Amino acid sequence: MDTPLREPTFLILTALAGEPLHGYAIIGEVTTLSQGRLSLRPGTLYGALDRLVDAGMVEVHRVEVVDGRLRRYYRLSPAGDTTLSEETDRLRRNVEAATARLRDRSRSPRAVPRTVGGVA
Amino acid sequence: MRDLERRYRRLLHAYPLGYRRARGAEIVGTYLDLAEPGRRWPSPADAIDVVTGGVRERLRAAGAADLIPGVRLAATLAFTTATALAGIWTAAETTAGQVPWVVPTFGPFATTGIIVWTVWLLAAVVRCLAPIRWTRMTIGLALLLSAAALPVGALAGLPRPPLFVLVPQATLGLLALAMPADPPRWHRLVPLVVAPLATLAAAHGMVERNTPYRSGEWGNFLPRAGVALLLTAMLTAAILALRHDTRGLWALLTLLPPIGLLGLYPLSEITADLVGASYPDFQVATATAGIVVILSAVTLTAAVAARRGARPARAGTVTAAPTAGACPTCGR
Repeated sequence: MDTPLREPTFLILTALAGEPLHGYAIIGEVTTLSQGRLSLRPGTLYGALDRLVDAGMVEVHRVEVVDGRLRRYYRLSPAGDTTLSEETDRLRRNVEAATARLRDRSRSPRAVPRTVGGVA
Repeated sequence: MRDLERRYRRLLHAYPLGYRRARGAEIVGTYLDLAEPGRRWPSPADAIDVVTGGVRERLRAAGAADLIPGVRLAATLAFTTATALAGIWTAAETTAGQVPWVVPTFGPFATTGIIVWTVWLLAAVVRCLAPIRWTRMTIGLALLLSAAALPVGALAGLPRPPLFVLVPQATLGLLALAMPADPPRWHRLVPLVVAPLATLAAAHGMVERNTPYRSGEWGNFLPRAGVALLLTAMLTAAILALRHDTRGLWALLTLLPPIGLLGLYPLSEITADLVGASYPDFQVATATAGIVVILSAVTLTAAVAARRGARPARAGTVTAAPTAGACPTCGR
Protein backbone atom coordinates (compact mmCIF):
# COMPACT_ATOMS: atom_id res chain seq x y z
CA MET A 1 0.00 0.00 0.00
CA ASP A 2 1.23 3.47 -0.94
CA THR A 3 2.37 5.79 1.81
CA PRO A 4 1.80 8.44 3.01
CA LEU A 5 -1.67 7.20 3.82
CA ARG A 6 -4.59 9.47 3.13
CA GLU A 7 -6.29 10.81 6.22
CA PRO A 8 -9.42 8.57 6.16
CA THR A 9 -7.25 5.46 5.74
CA PHE A 10 -4.95 6.56 8.56
CA LEU A 11 -7.94 7.17 10.86
CA ILE A 12 -9.61 3.83 10.01
CA LEU A 13 -6.38 2.01 10.88
CA THR A 14 -6.06 4.12 14.06
CA ALA A 15 -9.63 3.25 15.02
CA LEU A 16 -8.79 -0.45 14.65
CA ALA A 17 -5.56 -0.16 16.65
CA GLY A 18 -7.54 -0.91 19.81
CA GLU A 19 -10.09 -3.67 20.06
CA PRO A 20 -11.86 -5.18 17.02
CA LEU A 21 -14.73 -2.97 15.79
CA HIS A 22 -17.72 -3.36 13.48
CA GLY A 23 -18.57 -0.87 10.73
CA TYR A 24 -20.86 1.38 12.75
CA ALA A 25 -18.32 1.60 15.58
CA ILE A 26 -15.50 2.41 13.13
CA ILE A 27 -17.56 5.32 11.73
CA GLY A 28 -18.07 6.64 15.27
CA GLU A 29 -14.38 6.25 16.16
CA VAL A 30 -13.22 8.03 13.00
CA THR A 31 -15.60 10.92 13.76
CA THR A 32 -14.23 11.12 17.32
CA LEU A 33 -10.57 10.85 16.24
CA SER A 34 -11.02 13.61 13.66
CA GLN A 35 -12.91 15.75 16.20
CA GLY A 36 -16.01 15.71 14.01
CA ARG A 37 -14.25 16.83 10.81
CA LEU A 38 -14.56 13.49 9.04
CA SER A 39 -17.83 11.62 8.85
CA LEU A 40 -17.49 8.42 6.81
CA ARG A 41 -20.57 6.97 5.16
CA PRO A 42 -21.03 3.20 4.99
CA GLY A 43 -20.49 3.00 1.21
CA THR A 44 -17.13 4.73 1.54
CA LEU A 45 -16.18 2.81 4.69
CA TYR A 46 -16.85 -0.66 3.29
CA GLY A 47 -15.04 0.16 0.04
CA ALA A 48 -12.04 1.23 2.12
CA LEU A 49 -12.26 -1.82 4.40
CA ASP A 50 -12.39 -4.17 1.39
CA ARG A 51 -9.21 -2.66 -0.01
CA LEU A 52 -7.49 -2.75 3.38
CA VAL A 53 -8.42 -6.42 3.75
CA ASP A 54 -7.14 -7.10 0.21
CA ALA A 55 -3.90 -5.29 1.08
CA GLY A 56 -3.52 -7.50 4.16
CA MET A 57 -3.66 -4.59 6.62
CA VAL A 58 -7.02 -5.43 8.18
CA GLU A 59 -8.60 -8.80 8.86
CA VAL A 60 -12.03 -10.02 9.86
CA HIS A 61 -12.06 -10.99 13.53
CA ARG A 62 -15.57 -12.40 13.99
CA VAL A 63 -19.17 -12.16 12.81
CA GLU A 64 -22.11 -11.59 15.15
CA VAL A 65 -25.84 -11.03 14.75
CA VAL A 66 -27.12 -8.34 17.15
CA ASP A 67 -30.85 -7.43 17.13
CA GLY A 68 -31.20 -9.22 13.80
CA ARG A 69 -28.39 -7.16 12.26
CA LEU A 70 -25.24 -8.80 10.98
CA ARG A 71 -22.08 -7.28 12.37
CA ARG A 72 -18.65 -8.16 11.08
CA TYR A 73 -15.82 -7.13 13.40
CA TYR A 74 -12.49 -6.01 11.93
CA ARG A 75 -9.07 -5.77 13.51
CA LEU A 76 -5.62 -4.58 12.52
CA SER A 77 -3.37 -7.32 11.06
CA PRO A 78 0.36 -7.43 11.95
CA ALA A 79 1.12 -5.80 8.56
CA GLY A 80 -1.43 -3.07 9.27
CA ASP A 81 0.08 -2.55 12.70
CA THR A 82 3.54 -2.07 11.15
CA THR A 83 2.23 0.34 8.48
CA LEU A 84 0.33 2.41 11.05
CA SER A 85 3.40 2.55 13.35
CA GLU A 86 5.69 3.63 10.49
CA GLU A 87 3.20 6.25 9.31
CA THR A 88 2.75 7.57 12.85
CA ASP A 89 6.56 7.87 13.23
CA ARG A 90 6.80 9.73 9.94
CA LEU A 91 4.04 12.15 10.94
CA ARG A 92 5.61 12.63 14.38
CA ARG A 93 8.99 13.50 12.85
CA ASN A 94 7.27 16.03 10.56
CA VAL A 95 5.38 17.58 13.48
CA GLU A 96 8.57 17.78 15.57
CA ALA A 97 10.48 19.41 12.72
CA ALA A 98 7.71 21.94 12.11
CA THR A 99 7.34 22.66 15.84
CA ALA A 100 11.10 23.28 16.20
CA ARG A 101 11.13 25.67 13.23
CA LEU A 102 8.13 27.61 14.54
CA ARG A 103 9.68 27.80 18.02
CA ASP A 104 12.98 29.12 16.60
CA ARG A 105 11.13 31.69 14.56
CA SER A 106 9.15 32.98 17.52
CA ARG A 107 12.36 33.33 19.60
CA SER A 108 14.46 35.24 17.06
CA PRO A 109 13.18 38.72 16.10
CA ARG A 110 12.00 38.86 12.56
CA ALA A 111 14.66 40.39 10.28
CA VAL A 112 13.59 43.66 8.72
CA PRO A 113 14.28 43.61 4.99
CA ARG A 114 16.66 46.36 3.88
CA THR A 115 15.33 48.89 1.48
CA VAL A 116 17.25 48.80 -1.76
CA GLY A 117 17.71 51.99 -3.72
CA GLY A 118 16.24 54.27 -1.06
CA VAL A 119 17.26 57.81 -0.39
CA ALA A 120 20.81 57.83 1.02
CA MET B 1 -37.70 0.67 10.25
CA ARG B 2 -38.87 -2.25 8.13
CA ASP B 3 -39.76 0.16 5.29
CA LEU B 4 -36.38 1.82 5.62
CA GLU B 5 -34.56 -1.52 5.51
CA ARG B 6 -36.51 -2.58 2.42
CA ARG B 7 -35.61 0.68 0.68
CA TYR B 8 -31.93 0.37 1.53
CA ARG B 9 -32.00 -3.21 0.21
CA ARG B 10 -33.57 -1.97 -3.01
CA LEU B 11 -30.82 0.65 -3.39
CA LEU B 12 -28.26 -2.07 -2.74
CA HIS B 13 -28.98 -3.43 -6.23
CA ALA B 14 -26.33 -0.91 -7.36
CA TYR B 15 -23.81 -3.49 -6.05
CA PRO B 16 -22.90 -6.67 -7.99
CA LEU B 17 -25.01 -9.70 -7.06
CA GLY B 18 -22.21 -11.70 -5.46
CA TYR B 19 -21.06 -8.77 -3.34
CA ARG B 20 -24.64 -8.00 -2.34
CA ARG B 21 -25.16 -11.53 -1.11
CA ALA B 22 -21.89 -11.57 0.82
CA ARG B 23 -22.02 -8.07 2.33
CA GLY B 24 -25.55 -6.72 1.86
CA ALA B 25 -26.82 -7.53 5.36
CA GLU B 26 -23.77 -5.95 7.00
CA ILE B 27 -23.95 -2.75 4.93
CA VAL B 28 -27.72 -2.31 5.37
CA GLY B 29 -27.32 -2.97 9.10
CA THR B 30 -24.80 -0.13 9.34
CA TYR B 31 -27.09 2.29 7.49
CA LEU B 32 -29.90 1.32 9.88
CA ASP B 33 -27.62 1.81 12.89
CA LEU B 34 -26.84 5.32 11.66
CA ALA B 35 -30.44 6.25 10.81
CA GLU B 36 -32.34 8.41 13.29
CA PRO B 37 -35.48 6.83 14.85
CA GLY B 38 -38.66 7.20 12.82
CA ARG B 39 -36.92 7.65 9.48
CA ARG B 40 -38.73 5.79 6.67
CA TRP B 41 -36.73 6.82 3.60
CA PRO B 42 -32.96 6.85 3.05
CA SER B 43 -31.58 10.41 3.02
CA PRO B 44 -30.47 11.69 -0.42
CA ALA B 45 -26.84 11.64 0.77
CA ASP B 46 -27.20 7.98 1.84
CA ALA B 47 -28.85 7.07 -1.47
CA ILE B 48 -25.94 8.67 -3.38
CA ASP B 49 -23.48 6.88 -1.07
CA VAL B 50 -25.06 3.46 -1.73
CA VAL B 51 -25.17 3.97 -5.50
CA THR B 52 -21.61 5.38 -5.61
CA GLY B 53 -20.36 2.48 -3.50
CA GLY B 54 -22.14 0.03 -5.81
CA VAL B 55 -20.70 1.55 -8.98
CA ARG B 56 -17.23 1.58 -7.38
CA GLU B 57 -17.58 -2.08 -6.46
CA ARG B 58 -18.78 -3.00 -9.96
CA LEU B 59 -15.74 -1.26 -11.45
CA ARG B 60 -13.45 -3.06 -9.03
CA ALA B 61 -15.11 -6.35 -9.95
CA ALA B 62 -14.46 -5.53 -13.61
CA GLY B 63 -10.78 -4.91 -12.82
CA ALA B 64 -11.14 -1.22 -13.72
CA ALA B 65 -10.82 0.38 -10.30
CA ASP B 66 -8.39 2.96 -11.68
CA LEU B 67 -11.27 4.26 -13.80
CA ILE B 68 -12.58 6.01 -10.65
CA PRO B 69 -9.63 8.43 -10.23
CA GLY B 70 -9.72 8.87 -14.02
CA VAL B 71 -13.37 9.93 -13.84
CA ARG B 72 -12.50 12.37 -11.04
CA LEU B 73 -9.79 13.93 -13.20
CA ALA B 74 -12.21 14.07 -16.15
CA ALA B 75 -14.78 15.74 -13.87
CA THR B 76 -12.29 18.47 -12.96
CA LEU B 77 -11.51 19.14 -16.65
CA ALA B 78 -15.25 19.05 -17.48
CA PHE B 79 -16.04 21.57 -14.73
CA THR B 80 -13.33 23.97 -15.96
CA THR B 81 -14.63 23.67 -19.54
CA ALA B 82 -18.23 24.16 -18.44
CA THR B 83 -17.46 27.31 -16.45
CA ALA B 84 -15.36 28.71 -19.33
CA LEU B 85 -18.27 28.08 -21.72
CA ALA B 86 -20.67 29.67 -19.23
CA GLY B 87 -18.44 32.76 -19.31
CA ILE B 88 -18.47 32.77 -23.12
CA TRP B 89 -22.28 32.41 -23.26
CA THR B 90 -22.72 35.15 -20.64
CA ALA B 91 -20.83 37.50 -22.96
CA ALA B 92 -22.87 36.19 -25.89
CA GLU B 93 -26.17 36.82 -24.12
CA THR B 94 -25.39 40.53 -23.96
CA THR B 95 -25.04 40.79 -27.74
CA ALA B 96 -28.81 40.46 -28.22
CA GLY B 97 -29.02 44.08 -29.35
CA GLN B 98 -26.77 43.40 -32.31
CA VAL B 99 -29.29 41.12 -34.04
CA PRO B 100 -30.20 42.96 -37.24
CA TRP B 101 -33.73 41.59 -37.34
CA VAL B 102 -36.45 41.62 -34.73
CA VAL B 103 -36.44 38.51 -32.50
CA PRO B 104 -37.86 38.02 -29.02
CA THR B 105 -35.39 38.68 -26.21
CA PHE B 106 -35.29 38.03 -22.47
CA GLY B 107 -35.08 41.57 -21.14
CA PRO B 108 -31.66 42.97 -21.99
CA PHE B 109 -30.36 39.47 -22.70
CA ALA B 110 -30.69 37.24 -25.75
CA THR B 111 -32.29 34.25 -23.97
CA THR B 112 -33.26 32.76 -20.60
CA GLY B 113 -29.88 31.04 -20.75
CA ILE B 114 -28.41 33.99 -18.82
CA ILE B 115 -29.91 32.47 -15.65
CA VAL B 116 -28.27 29.10 -16.34
CA TRP B 117 -24.87 30.66 -17.13
CA THR B 118 -25.00 32.83 -14.00
CA VAL B 119 -25.57 29.74 -11.86
CA TRP B 120 -22.66 28.01 -13.59
CA LEU B 121 -20.36 30.95 -12.84
CA LEU B 122 -21.65 30.91 -9.28
CA ALA B 123 -20.61 27.22 -9.11
CA ALA B 124 -17.01 28.26 -9.91
CA VAL B 125 -17.08 30.65 -6.93
CA VAL B 126 -18.72 28.06 -4.65
CA ARG B 127 -16.04 25.53 -5.64
CA CYS B 128 -13.38 27.85 -4.21
CA LEU B 129 -15.18 28.74 -1.00
CA ALA B 130 -17.37 25.85 0.13
CA PRO B 131 -17.31 22.05 0.58
CA ILE B 132 -17.92 19.89 -2.48
CA ARG B 133 -21.57 19.21 -1.64
CA TRP B 134 -22.41 22.89 -2.16
CA THR B 135 -20.68 22.85 -5.54
CA ARG B 136 -22.64 19.73 -6.50
CA MET B 137 -25.88 21.36 -5.40
CA THR B 138 -25.10 24.46 -7.49
CA ILE B 139 -24.25 22.31 -10.53
CA GLY B 140 -27.47 20.34 -9.91
CA LEU B 141 -29.40 23.62 -9.91
CA ALA B 142 -27.75 24.64 -13.20
CA LEU B 143 -28.73 21.26 -14.70
CA LEU B 144 -32.32 21.65 -13.51
CA LEU B 145 -32.53 25.16 -14.95
CA SER B 146 -31.07 23.91 -18.25
CA ALA B 147 -33.79 21.24 -18.40
CA ALA B 148 -36.47 23.76 -17.38
CA ALA B 149 -35.44 26.19 -20.15
CA LEU B 150 -37.12 23.93 -22.73
CA PRO B 151 -40.68 23.67 -21.33
CA VAL B 152 -40.58 27.23 -19.95
CA GLY B 153 -39.47 28.52 -23.33
CA ALA B 154 -42.23 26.59 -25.10
CA LEU B 155 -45.01 27.54 -22.65
CA ALA B 156 -44.12 31.17 -21.99
CA GLY B 157 -42.78 31.93 -25.45
CA LEU B 158 -39.39 32.92 -24.05
CA PRO B 159 -36.25 32.49 -26.13
CA ARG B 160 -33.82 29.83 -24.90
CA PRO B 161 -30.27 28.83 -25.90
CA PRO B 162 -30.05 26.28 -28.74
CA LEU B 163 -29.91 22.59 -27.82
CA PHE B 164 -26.48 22.49 -29.48
CA VAL B 165 -25.38 24.68 -26.54
CA LEU B 166 -27.47 23.19 -23.71
CA VAL B 167 -26.79 19.49 -24.37
CA PRO B 168 -22.95 19.51 -24.19
CA GLN B 169 -23.15 21.86 -21.19
CA ALA B 170 -25.47 19.42 -19.39
CA THR B 171 -23.15 16.50 -20.23
CA LEU B 172 -20.18 18.40 -18.83
CA GLY B 173 -22.29 19.23 -15.76
CA LEU B 174 -23.25 15.60 -15.12
CA LEU B 175 -19.60 14.60 -15.32
CA ALA B 176 -18.54 17.51 -13.08
CA LEU B 177 -20.68 16.06 -10.26
CA ALA B 178 -17.94 13.43 -9.81
CA MET B 179 -15.31 16.03 -8.83
CA PRO B 180 -13.09 15.05 -5.90
CA ALA B 181 -13.91 16.52 -2.50
CA ASP B 182 -10.35 17.45 -1.51
CA PRO B 183 -8.27 18.47 -4.53
CA PRO B 184 -5.17 20.70 -4.32
CA ARG B 185 -6.16 24.34 -3.80
CA TRP B 186 -4.99 25.41 -7.28
CA HIS B 187 -7.39 22.88 -8.85
CA ARG B 188 -10.24 24.81 -7.22
CA LEU B 189 -8.93 28.15 -8.46
CA VAL B 190 -8.48 27.17 -12.13
CA PRO B 191 -12.20 27.47 -13.13
CA LEU B 192 -12.45 30.80 -11.31
CA VAL B 193 -9.49 32.13 -13.33
CA VAL B 194 -10.45 30.55 -16.67
CA ALA B 195 -14.13 31.64 -16.68
CA PRO B 196 -13.53 35.44 -16.51
CA LEU B 197 -10.72 35.16 -19.09
CA ALA B 198 -13.06 33.27 -21.43
CA THR B 199 -15.80 35.86 -20.83
CA LEU B 200 -13.50 38.77 -21.68
CA ALA B 201 -11.99 37.03 -24.72
CA ALA B 202 -15.45 36.06 -26.03
CA ALA B 203 -16.88 39.53 -25.47
CA HIS B 204 -13.93 41.11 -27.30
CA GLY B 205 -14.16 38.64 -30.21
CA MET B 206 -17.91 39.07 -30.61
CA VAL B 207 -17.72 42.85 -30.67
CA GLU B 208 -14.99 42.63 -33.33
CA ARG B 209 -16.88 40.18 -35.53
CA ASN B 210 -20.30 41.63 -34.79
CA THR B 211 -21.87 38.15 -34.93
CA PRO B 212 -24.63 37.74 -32.37
CA TYR B 213 -25.23 34.69 -30.20
CA ARG B 214 -28.45 33.47 -31.75
CA SER B 215 -27.38 33.63 -35.36
CA GLY B 216 -24.67 31.01 -35.05
CA GLU B 217 -21.94 32.39 -32.79
CA TRP B 218 -22.18 29.18 -30.76
CA GLY B 219 -21.22 27.29 -33.92
CA ASN B 220 -17.79 28.93 -33.73
CA PHE B 221 -17.09 28.34 -30.07
CA LEU B 222 -18.41 24.84 -29.42
CA PRO B 223 -16.14 22.83 -31.79
CA ARG B 224 -13.16 24.94 -30.69
CA ALA B 225 -13.96 24.24 -27.05
CA GLY B 226 -14.25 20.53 -27.94
CA VAL B 227 -10.84 20.53 -29.63
CA ALA B 228 -9.31 22.48 -26.71
CA LEU B 229 -10.73 19.97 -24.22
CA LEU B 230 -9.54 17.04 -26.36
CA LEU B 231 -6.00 18.45 -26.62
CA THR B 232 -5.89 19.24 -22.88
CA ALA B 233 -7.07 15.72 -22.02
CA MET B 234 -4.55 14.15 -24.44
CA LEU B 235 -1.69 16.26 -23.08
CA THR B 236 -2.66 15.42 -19.48
CA ALA B 237 -2.88 11.71 -20.39
CA ALA B 238 0.55 11.80 -22.05
CA ILE B 239 2.21 13.57 -19.10
CA LEU B 240 0.66 11.18 -16.56
CA ALA B 241 1.48 8.14 -18.73
CA LEU B 242 5.16 9.12 -18.55
CA ARG B 243 4.83 8.68 -14.78
CA HIS B 244 3.12 5.28 -15.28
CA ASP B 245 -0.17 6.84 -14.17
CA THR B 246 -3.19 5.62 -16.21
CA ARG B 247 -5.62 8.21 -14.80
CA GLY B 248 -5.20 10.49 -17.81
CA LEU B 249 -6.12 7.75 -20.31
CA TRP B 250 -9.30 6.91 -18.39
CA ALA B 251 -10.09 10.62 -18.12
CA LEU B 252 -9.68 10.98 -21.90
CA LEU B 253 -12.05 8.06 -22.54
CA THR B 254 -14.58 9.44 -20.04
CA LEU B 255 -14.49 12.84 -21.74
CA LEU B 256 -15.31 11.44 -25.19
CA PRO B 257 -19.13 12.01 -24.92
CA PRO B 258 -18.90 15.74 -24.01
CA ILE B 259 -16.08 16.27 -26.53
CA GLY B 260 -18.20 14.63 -29.24
CA LEU B 261 -21.28 16.64 -28.25
CA LEU B 262 -19.27 19.89 -28.33
CA GLY B 263 -18.56 19.05 -31.96
CA LEU B 264 -22.14 18.00 -32.62
CA TYR B 265 -22.90 20.63 -35.24
CA PRO B 266 -20.01 19.84 -37.63
CA LEU B 267 -20.58 16.12 -36.99
CA SER B 268 -24.30 16.58 -37.79
CA GLU B 269 -23.34 18.33 -41.02
CA ILE B 270 -21.29 15.26 -41.98
CA THR B 271 -24.27 13.00 -41.09
CA ALA B 272 -26.59 15.22 -43.14
CA ASP B 273 -24.27 14.85 -46.14
CA LEU B 274 -24.16 11.08 -45.67
CA VAL B 275 -27.95 10.66 -45.49
CA GLY B 276 -28.63 13.21 -48.23
CA ALA B 277 -30.32 15.80 -45.98
CA SER B 278 -30.02 19.43 -47.05
CA TYR B 279 -29.10 20.60 -43.51
CA PRO B 280 -28.64 19.05 -40.03
CA ASP B 281 -32.25 19.17 -38.82
CA PHE B 282 -33.47 17.97 -35.41
CA GLN B 283 -33.64 14.30 -36.42
CA VAL B 284 -30.16 14.31 -37.95
CA ALA B 285 -28.67 16.09 -34.91
CA THR B 286 -30.44 13.71 -32.48
CA ALA B 287 -29.24 10.65 -34.40
CA THR B 288 -25.69 12.06 -34.47
CA ALA B 289 -25.78 12.73 -30.72
CA GLY B 290 -26.98 9.14 -30.19
CA ILE B 291 -24.12 7.79 -32.30
CA VAL B 292 -21.60 9.92 -30.37
CA VAL B 293 -22.85 8.61 -27.01
CA ILE B 294 -23.03 4.97 -28.18
CA LEU B 295 -19.56 5.04 -29.75
CA SER B 296 -18.10 6.65 -26.62
CA ALA B 297 -19.76 4.01 -24.40
CA VAL B 298 -18.52 1.19 -26.65
CA THR B 299 -14.97 2.61 -26.59
CA LEU B 300 -14.98 2.87 -22.79
CA THR B 301 -16.48 -0.62 -22.38
CA ALA B 302 -13.89 -2.08 -24.76
CA ALA B 303 -11.10 -0.38 -22.80
CA VAL B 304 -12.45 -1.77 -19.51
CA ALA B 305 -12.73 -5.25 -21.08
CA ALA B 306 -9.18 -5.01 -22.44
CA ARG B 307 -7.97 -3.93 -19.00
CA ARG B 308 -9.80 -6.83 -17.40
CA GLY B 309 -8.19 -9.24 -19.85
CA ALA B 310 -4.76 -7.78 -19.14
CA ARG B 311 -5.18 -7.92 -15.35
CA PRO B 312 -7.71 -10.56 -14.26
CA ALA B 313 -9.41 -9.87 -10.94
CA ARG B 314 -8.59 -12.21 -8.04
CA ALA B 315 -10.75 -13.12 -5.12
CA GLY B 316 -10.11 -11.21 -1.89
CA THR B 317 -10.64 -12.32 1.69
CA VAL B 318 -13.94 -10.61 2.29
CA THR B 319 -14.92 -9.76 -1.24
CA ALA B 320 -13.50 -9.54 -4.74
CA ALA B 321 -11.48 -7.31 -7.04
CA PRO B 322 -8.60 -5.76 -5.14
CA THR B 323 -6.51 -2.77 -6.14
CA ALA B 324 -2.95 -3.45 -5.11
CA GLY B 325 -1.01 -0.42 -4.01
CA ALA B 326 -4.01 1.93 -4.22
CA CYS B 327 -5.49 4.18 -1.59
CA PRO B 328 -8.35 2.32 0.09
CA THR B 329 -10.63 5.32 0.32
CA CYS B 330 -10.30 6.81 -3.14
CA GLY B 331 -8.83 3.96 -5.21
CA ARG B 332 -5.82 6.08 -6.32
